[in-house]
Amino acid sequence: MTGDLLTIEPLLIVAFTAVAVLISDALTPSRRYAPIAVALAGLGLTSWVLLQQSGQTVTALSGAYIGGPFVAYLGLIGAAVVAITLLISPDHLAARRYPSAEFATTLLFALCGAILVGASSDLVTLFIGLELLVIPGYLLAGYAKRDPLSTEGAVKYFLLGSFSSAILLFGIVLLWGSMGTASLTGIATALSSAKGGGHPAVAVALALITTGVAFKIAAVPFHYWTPDAYQGSPTPITGYLSVGPKIGAFVLMIKLFLIALLPLASMWIPVVALLAAATMTLGNLVALTQGNVKRMLAYSSIAHTGYLMVGIVAAGAGQSSGVAGVLFYSAAYALMNLGAFAFLTAVQGRPGSTVQLSDLAGLGRKHPQLALLATLFLLSLTGIPPTAGFFAKAYVILSAVQAGGVASALAIVAVLNAAIAAFYYLRVIVYLFMRDPAEAEVEVATAPLLRAGLLIAAVGTLLLGLLPSGLIEAVVKAIAS
Amino acid sequence: MNAATQLVAGLPILSMITLLPFAGALLLAFLPSSRPSLIRITALAVSFVTFILSLLMLPGIRSFSSEFAFSEQFSWIPSFGITYHLGVDGLSGALVVLTTLLSWICILASFGPIQNRVKEYFISFLILETGMLGVFLSLDLFLFYIFWEIVLVPMYLIIGIWGGADRIYATIKFVLYTLVGSLLMLVAILATAFSHQAATGSWTGAFDLIALRGTITDPTLQLVAFGAFALAFAIKVPMFPFHTWLPDAHVQAPTAGSVILAGVLLKLGGYGFLRFAIPLFPQAAHNFAPLIIVLSVIAIIYGAVVAIVQTDLKKLIAYSSVSHMGFVTLGIFSFNQQGVDGAILQMLNHGLITSGLFLLVGIGYERTHDREIAKMGGWASRTPVYAALFGFFLFASVGLPGLSGFAGEFLVLLGAFLANPAVAGAATLVMVLAAVYLLWMYQRIFTGPLSPFLKGLGSHLTDVTSIEIATLAPLAAMIVAFGILPTLLTNAFAPSVAQFLMYASGGLIP
Repeated sequence: MTGDLLTIEPLLIVAFTAVAVLISDALTPSRRYAPIAVALAGLGLTSWVLLQQSGQTVTALSGAYIGGPFVAYLGLIGAAVVAITLLISPDHLAARRYPSAEFATTLLFALCGAILVGASSDLVTLFIGLELLVIPGYLLAGYAKRDPLSTEGAVKYFLLGSFSSAILLFGIVLLWGSMGTASLTGIATALSSAKGGGHPAVAVALALITTGVAFKIAAVPFHYWTPDAYQGSPTPITGYLSVGPKIGAFVLMIKLFLIALLPLASMWIPVVALLAAATMTLGNLVALTQGNVKRMLAYSSIAHTGYLMVGIVAAGAGQSSGVAGVLFYSAAYALMNLGAFAFLTAVQGRPGSTVQLSDLAGLGRKHPQLALLATLFLLSLTGIPPTAGFFAKAYVILSAVQAGGVASALAIVAVLNAAIAAFYYLRVIVYLFMRDPAEAEVEVATAPLLRAGLLIAAVGTLLLGLLPSGLIEAVVKAIAS
Repeated sequence: MNAATQLVAGLPILSMITLLPFAGALLLAFLPSSRPSLIRITALAVSFVTFILSLLMLPGIRSFSSEFAFSEQFSWIPSFGITYHLGVDGLSGALVVLTTLLSWICILASFGPIQNRVKEYFISFLILETGMLGVFLSLDLFLFYIFWEIVLVPMYLIIGIWGGADRIYATIKFVLYTLVGSLLMLVAILATAFSHQAATGSWTGAFDLIALRGTITDPTLQLVAFGAFALAFAIKVPMFPFHTWLPDAHVQAPTAGSVILAGVLLKLGGYGFLRFAIPLFPQAAHNFAPLIIVLSVIAIIYGAVVAIVQTDLKKLIAYSSVSHMGFVTLGIFSFNQQGVDGAILQMLNHGLITSGLFLLVGIGYERTHDREIAKMGGWASRTPVYAALFGFFLFASVGLPGLSGFAGEFLVLLGAFLANPAVAGAATLVMVLAAVYLLWMYQRIFTGPLSPFLKGLGSHLTDVTSIEIATLAPLAAMIVAFGILPTLLTNAFAPSVAQFLMYASGGLIP
């Protein structure tokens, strides 16, 4: 029992930190940054514990929880995502008179969910982890409660999210019932046997699970909630929503498709490949037409879902580098996308301001450093070396080329899409540097925490591009278990 | 070993050459924008030191017995066998010196015209120089690709920020064209590396040019990968029908941007064929050769014909570039020594001559703020030195014997004749067309009575300044030197050509 507690220590620390944040806020109501400081300290401790656990695989709770390098990797990404979000948010929220402590607590509970998804070894833990991850997301989407757009987005997100959870759950239950076990590896074994593979409920379960997962990762044609939920939320929260729940959903996809349903790979590969191609292409094409930068980034995040799915397809075809690619991509995407949203947060210094492309005109002249950081994130999102985004894309494409067949065709679709995407990412750079300043000036926020968040994201984006080998080794170690 | 070789023998000279401009860019970032002259001088000093370093490197190339001199190789991403691998031979050495030379010339030539956001401009330019040098010196496919893409960003900014009225359209077109080609090349690089890994069971050397040459035997991979490489390089050269980005980019780019675009960036494509695409995939290269030769001849003729009807001076020279670069691909795909020698000469000469022409157009534009040929006339009567210099570069471009343009085109035609007489005949016709469009242009601009437009400029129409002469003189001197003694160059890259021909024939017949 004590051993179990030690194993699930990261989970416990995050949960206790969440409570401590609320207490600290109650004790020092006048200090705006106190809850943030407590949360960051807790995240630091969590990261340290995760690093300690990254050496070997340990199980707890009768095998329902598997700690080790995989969880450590995901937990560290999660902690980084939450930390950066916490750095860029408080001043933005305070300027709009929204509290920070509840915000930090909600984020920390979501991190618990993310860790649980990563550690789960059976369907039940997996689903609980997922819900724990996404329900805080609904709360956060509606965090700007006085803003009708935020409420609308949150309601859409909540309704479609719950709906897709129900579909997913139905699929999970069918799978559990027909295979007689909830264990992910147990299901894979049962499916490989002649009897299990031919069970009539399997096809239905697969269809339901695919649909549910496609909703969660926002794959076309199940992406409709994304732009509204993203546009309505306060900008730093949008940054978190486009990264945290998405990566969590991809871990769910890895667990379900690449462990439990791997024996059915020949059935789901064509479907997932088709969804991937549609997701990349549609996401990019619609992003091209957006004048609102936040909405553009929402569609671009849909396109990134498509690139990530390429890795899943490659992994389904038997290339372990596919999973590695997805994990690397997740880290790179987290840094560069949060960076891009941190930039948007910075240019929304005035409450009530939205960011149209034209608002950014000439920003490079007035705020060269901020514009330079934005350029770095945009180049990384485009996939230009030497940035994290380039290496992530190369990794995923490499795995697809290795897998051959459908995956190779997807690799071609992915790079052509990258060229389309270049158009709208570079268009932002055009506005930043090549147009004359806009008449109505944007007010740039210069809070030190926001700057720190921007800087961390930028350094990470560059470092992963220049020296990716450290992370590659971590990724390879993570999937070896 | 002479003194220069001894001086650089123990140093990582190639890394120094490649990274010095980048270090300079970092240095510029910390200088105050309020002191533009300090920024200009620093940028010039950095690029000039890089030039000197590249000259010091030159003698060493021939004193090494191995194919690549000054080789540097460090493990970079060991999981995939990706290394930081630099090396230089006669071919890349010549192009490196061309790059470092044109870089400081361009920086000097930007002193006057660039008055807006000076710091950002020179930072972009120095990063561009690092990217170009990295492309020429990389022997690892992954590293090569990274430098290849790095070139894109500063050029995008240089055209987009400091360019003409339609700069944004032009720069986005430039980036998208290049990106489509290069991304497909990335897939081909990864597929090639993976095939190596699958064949040997290890990632070691999977991205290394030297380890990969002659090992790719799968005919499908050869065809597909060569196709992707060739597309990327064909867009860069640019070959017909992928050339449409070039006139826009040239017309909109600031003078130094046009110079570096014509002088170096187009060479990246030709170099890519010589160094990567053909040695890696020789069989496919031979399969594609008829198509590429036909496209080259079309480019040579089409570029010349379209140049005749241009009304904008820069656009005329841009189309003449399409025609001249057609000789490069024609020579390379003749697969004989004359053709390849000629192609490399043509690359270097085009780099010198067309850069000079773009500099001269820029000098004229500084005074007239116009490039419309019809508005000019009788210019020579006001600025005789300018007219004489223009005439010199123009005759070099026409291919006047005794100036360097002649040797390259002549060798290419000789090589093409040995490979296919009919093709050579068609291409020779263009020597006449080139004389037509260039001389006619010269006549319309410089001779006859002074046009009302030029007369209206009055005392603004000054002759070239000493700084402008300083930018043109080294180019002119080299054009004369290599015109009289092209063997200075052909001897320098003879081993590279021999190696290339060996790999191009599939490593079978030397």
